[in-house]
Amino acid sequence: MNVLVVVCHPDPASFTHAAFTRVIAGLDAGGHETRLTDLYAEEFDPAMSCAERRDHKDPEIGPDLRPYANDLAWAEALVLVHPTWWSGQPAMLKGWIDRVWVAGVAWTMADGDSTPTPLLRNIRRIVVVTTHGSSKFVNALQGEGGKRTVTRSLRGMCSRRARTTWCALYGIDRADSDARAAFLDRVERTLAGL
Amino acid sequence: MRALVVTAHPCADSFAHAAAERAVAGLEAAGHHVDTIDLAASGFIAAMSLDERRAYHSDRPVIDPHVAEHVALIRAATILVLVYPTWWSGLPAILKGWLERTLVPGVGFRFDESTGKVRPGLTHIRRIVGVSTYGSPWFAVKIVNDNGRRTITRALRLSCGVRARTTWLGLYGMDTATPADRIAFLARVEQRMARLT
Repeated sequence: MNVLVVVCHPDPASFTHAAFTRVIAGLDAGGHETRLTDLYAEEFDPAMSCAERRDHKDPEIGPDLRPYANDLAWAEALVLVHPTWWSGQPAMLKGWIDRVWVAGVAWTMADGDSTPTPLLRNIRRIVVVTTHGSSKFVNALQGEGGKRTVTRSLRGMCSRRARTTWCALYGIDRADSDARAAFLDRVERTLAGL
Repeated sequence: MRALVVTAHPCADSFAHAAAERAVAGLEAAGHHVDTIDLAASGFIAAMSLDERRAYHSDRPVIDPHVAEHVALIRAATILVLVYPTWWSGLPAILKGWLERTLVPGVGFRFDESTGKVRPGLTHIRRIVGVSTYGSPWFAVKIVNDNGRRTITRALRLSCGVRARTTWLGLYGMDTATPADRIAFLARVEQRMARLT
């Protein structure tokens, strides 16, 4: 499969990047084609500009965003690797969604319509690899906003049969080295079995 | 009381800005002192930097003077009002980044050394208000879980005192809303803020 992997953490020495390395190892073992996007390393600008907002229903996108859009059109599977902050995607990753998943790339909408028509039917698998500082219980109380954003909003623009996998380490603030190592093994296994 | 109104829309002539103005008018009519932050106009940087991430668990996690100014306004506030368009069922990146960069340990929450648990840091906030526009109609917003609202009324709410209350003002189906709908919503925002005690 063609797999697009997007990683988001400011620190290249982070646990998120360790997980990213294991994602790649798993995908390589599974014989998949991969394209990799490291949003911080590429200095992606997450804030949508006013001009972009005004034209957000126009299918033309800026040349700086074109490579990101091409990757989405190429992908059959999407893997997001990031920490969960304030119950959702870090701003950097949310900005990638805000700015790249726009009209003409992720959806199209006729005038007067209030529901978009999906354009990323090519994506039939979504995997999220993430870490939560707090426990699963606290995340449930908070409503798992980040998870639902992917499994409901983003997935809605992908294949009708798209499957999502949420591969999460809860309570990382109190996880010991064994729990972290076990999670990294699980990440590699999950991606190898894609 | 003292209120902080934070607006997150890249265009100064946006409907979100109009709603923020009316929120301020309502709050002032109720006798509150109002501070305002316009994230895009102030050039706020959305993404947490590597230096900030490395300082996150230190004694001084706020290292950017711009963030420090906003932290001072948050600490002075009793009412926090967030005005923004909902994108992908959540907060625009610049507002999500504002939460991440300002509500660091010691501000938004603190770690209890003895139990290792997270404790609320925003106990001075008595009321959180969300004012948001949604392109989708109400039922579609609910199907996808209204994630931005949950971030604010649950995750952020858990960082406030036990008595903190939340108020939500949403204009749904913005893409098909009539001018009359928009005018009615702006009036509702001002009226609701004027009743805030």
